[in-house]
Amino acid sequence: MATVQVSEAEKVYILHGVRDDLRVDGRGCEDYRHMEIETDVVSNTDGSAKVSLGHTDVLVGVKAEIGKPRPMVPHEGYLEFFVDCSANATPEFEGRGGDELGVELSNTLYKVFNNRSSIDLKSLCISPGEHCWVLYVDVLLLQCDGNLFDAISVAIKAALFNTKIPKVHLSENEEGGKEIELSDDPYDCMRLNVENVPCIVTLCKVGYRHVVDATLQEKACSVASLIISVTHKGTITCVRKVGGGSLDPESIFEMTEVRQDPPPPYSSSCHLPFRPSQHISTGFPVRRSNCNRFV
Amino acid sequence: MPVDTKRVRGPEVSQSPSLFLCKTAANKSFTQKDARVDGRQRGQVDVRSVFVRCGLISQAKGSAYIEAGNTKLICCVYGPREMERKDETDMKSGRLMTDMRFAPFSCRERGSWIQGSDEKDLSLMLLESLRPGVCLHKYPRSQIEVNVMVLENDGSVLAHAVTCASMALADAGIEMYDLVLGCSIRQESATYLIDPTYLEENGCNLASGSGDNFGSLTVAFLPSLNQISGLQSDGEMGEDILTGGVRTCIEGCFKLYPVIQQALTKAVRRKAPPSEN
Repeated sequence: MATVQVSEAEKVYILHGVRDDLRVDGRGCEDYRHMEIETDVVSNTDGSAKVSLGHTDVLVGVKAEIGKPRPMVPHEGYLEFFVDCSANATPEFEGRGGDELGVELSNTLYKVFNNRSSIDLKSLCISPGEHCWVLYVDVLLLQCDGNLFDAISVAIKAALFNTKIPKVHLSENEEGGKEIELSDDPYDCMRLNVENVPCIVTLCKVGYRHVVDATLQEKACSVASLIISVTHKGTITCVRKVGGGSLDPESIFEMTEVRQDPPPPYSSSCHLPFRPSQHISTGFPVRRSNCNRFV
Repeated sequence: MPVDTKRVRGPEVSQSPSLFLCKTAANKSFTQKDARVDGRQRGQVDVRSVFVRCGLISQAKGSAYIEAGNTKLICCVYGPREMERKDETDMKSGRLMTDMRFAPFSCRERGSWIQGSDEKDLSLMLLESLRPGVCLHKYPRSQIEVNVMVLENDGSVLAHAVTCASMALADAGIEMYDLVLGCSIRQESATYLIDPTYLEENGCNLASGSGDNFGSLTVAFLPSLNQISGLQSDGEMGEDILTGGVRTCIEGCFKLYPVIQQALTKAVRRKAPPSEN
């Protein structure tokens, strides 16, 4: 991950602050930074979203293509993730530098979505064993200021919500083979149900406490972090410990409890087409601009 | 995507025979019976018995071989070696490099020699699990290489790789805070299967689609220090199921600990020069 150099005095300052539930920018330990989500930003894609979480910027584009289903699961389509850490984010990512981080992020995304209920893959099937929709989810890191996993997961959820998959008609041609026709009407499309798409929460262990949405400085003071991917129902789809330190089992149990915060008041007030998971919704203002509302 | 251009794998439309096999195998019910296929119990901390031996590879500084059921892994450690001066910032402590590979004949489907993203992911998890256990500050400007090769994959590979790697590190004389042991568990709605075999890990996915609490969890644990150094879970589980699974894995690690200790002491005695009486 892109790192900053932090002096010993700064580390002590951050540690003492976290101990007293006061971080460098004035947030509490469980507060997120200001987040902005925009959907439908790239017109060439079938769905796209851009998320800004503090100074971290992530752009996600989803393209739907027709492909052959996987041999073991002929009745389902699938998703392919690719994360590109561009050199815009930090100079460390120049050339092949960002590849390692990109591979780590993509592999985690595969694990997060590796279950039955996140996305209804059966709805992506066109004809079993022969054709299915493959959703290529491409993530571009524009700016990196810590907490990449959270921003990426929210952006993917927004982009999948925004994805419009054209409706197809199967017909038989003269030789008996199947022909696929896409409807001409650009509004005749299928939308995905993203209610169960999980969001990732990263908890960094700083000193004896854990912080949510760590900046790069706080990350430099922590030895280990726990990445938890959780749906709005509270089901955990993926847990992963990253970093070179070790964690006490009790602190891991504490961290998994933190996610169970009460549902936010704002999700009922503003008409959100999708409801983020319970934890993320606690306390941070989400401004939706330029998003097209579909009835 | 790197492609293996040196081997001809048959025409493009060829399919593996195991695709046609899996339909009949899935009929064998993995229902909530008490006994698993190899006679162990569900819902109990019943890890497979392991055979471990250190010091197999004479060229390597340290090596270890582990067999758990049909899962066979071998690990060798080289180092500490001088590190090429890539960046000057990291000179105060050493670096640990891990590499985990599957032999092409290890899984049901023939794998390729080129490292796929799965193997890279497993190598990264292995690195994160081992790093807290090794005293890297005692080896400044050096790198220690750990290479794990999976000879046969019959489930819970990452967990056994962690155990094997830490034994190899101990055999190489690298200073460590504690041994790192790994244990994995497969959650199936109400019960769990500890140390699952390959069929138990993958077969359940196809057989039962609905219902929640299906997932797998791997934990790397330092027993004397009571610290978790690696944690990875997959599938969907509730929070209490997850914490219960972590506790079960910790119990499994404690069960393995005396066996590993015994194997290491035997290896040390073998290596020690015979005492003059």
